[in-house]
Amino acid sequence: MLRGINLEIKERSITAIMGPSGCGKTTFIRCLNRLHELTPGASVRGRVMLDGEDIYSPKVNPVLVRRKIGMVFQKPNSFPTMSVYDNVAAGLKLNWVRDKAKLDEAVERSLKLAFLWDEVKDDLKKSGAALSGGQQQRLCIARALAVEPEVILMDEPCSALDPTATAKIEEAIFELKKDYTIVIVTHNMQQAARVADYTAFFYLGELIEYGNTEQIFENPNNELTERYITGKFG
Amino acid sequence: MPRLMDMGLSKLTNVILQMAELSKKSVATSMEGFRSGRAVIDQIYQWSEELRELEDETNELATEIIARYQPVASDLRYIEACLAISNGFFRFGRYAYDIAEVLQMFGDLSNCEKKIVEETAATAEKMLQMSIEAFLKRDVELAKKIKLMDDIVDANYREHIGRSMNDPKGDLKCVLSTTLILRYLERIADHADYIGDLVVYITTGFRVTDFRKSLPLGQEQQTGKKAKLQGKPQPLYGTKN
Repeated sequence: MLRGINLEIKERSITAIMGPSGCGKTTFIRCLNRLHELTPGASVRGRVMLDGEDIYSPKVNPVLVRRKIGMVFQKPNSFPTMSVYDNVAAGLKLNWVRDKAKLDEAVERSLKLAFLWDEVKDDLKKSGAALSGGQQQRLCIARALAVEPEVILMDEPCSALDPTATAKIEEAIFELKKDYTIVIVTHNMQQAARVADYTAFFYLGELIEYGNTEQIFENPNNELTERYITGKFG
Repeated sequence: MPRLMDMGLSKLTNVILQMAELSKKSVATSMEGFRSGRAVIDQIYQWSEELRELEDETNELATEIIARYQPVASDLRYIEACLAISNGFFRFGRYAYDIAEVLQMFGDLSNCEKKIVEETAATAEKMLQMSIEAFLKRDVELAKKIKLMDDIVDANYREHIGRSMNDPKGDLKCVLSTTLILRYLERIADHADYIGDLVVYITTGFRVTDFRKSLPLGQEQQTGKKAKLQGKPQPLYGTKN
């Protein structure tokens, strides 16, 4: 259960959410695109504002919310029966985009943004499942980007990947922040320190501290944050 | 529960403390040579070389800790400060050697007025000792006092320069030797002051530019980074065995 979370996510930046297991990181980001509503018994009180509008307003279509606020999950989940091309184009096709030229352009743009184009451009008909873990995760990022979201949520996107694949994802994330607002949940504090502009520390469902990453990792204000990031409690 | 990194930090602290004692001994010996006329340069040179090796050891240890453990927050500040502090202690040894060199070059100084050098040396040595204590105890209040004492050393040096310039009949040997020694003592005081600043940084995360202007004694102040002044000393990262 989350309590009293009041957090302003800065536009076109990377915000890392860190904290020990069970502190509510994933629950929090699933609230940001109404994905938690798919969990039986889940509820939310409060507001999540995007472009001045509360996404929980009865007037708002949750499907459109999830298009504007895309998500990449911990385990790469490319559509196994689809090609690379079709994986990326899936979201557009579901939104009735049929123009081949537009689809081609969107697929190429998204794969380039995800730093995957060079590795797959010669065989876009290859099955998405035939890619390596790191490539599949970048494919999932491309898929999220194809529908032109404003925000991308990432729930531990690199935890199942090796260091090389992780480095490529982080490189992609770093470039993406020029045009997108990114929120990344991570267990890896060094990753937060490497890529995030802002870092929020959660503990037992509460937001303990939020600030500029440099300040959090050099001189945190809260004693609990200090103890967590220096490894003085697990 | 101790962390893996704590062993490295403990080792780092021990090397810094070794440097502290050696540099204190070097400065004290150089001044003993000044007072007594005893030749001290060989001994101080040896200590200076030991200090250089210990500084190298500090750099290697700090680099290893950073590479292995990616320290953050207070650990990172401590390591960063230790790198600078070890250089400070090395510099103390070098200035002690420089003083010993002056004594060797100029020979017998028994006819020279010694009072200003002795007074300045007493202050500089006290500041050195206080900087070591401030580091050991993470004592921010002591660090502030070091900074105020630096003014005394600076004033003594400037007073001597002013007086010498206005006394054309002064003994050149005495004027030159005193000027050089005071200059090295002034540098020792500056480094002691800087070590005090680093103690403040370790404890609060606040980088001191001019502590007297930004943080009046006993008060906390916001700067670009929020300061976290703590009146109580922080626990040591390991102690000397």
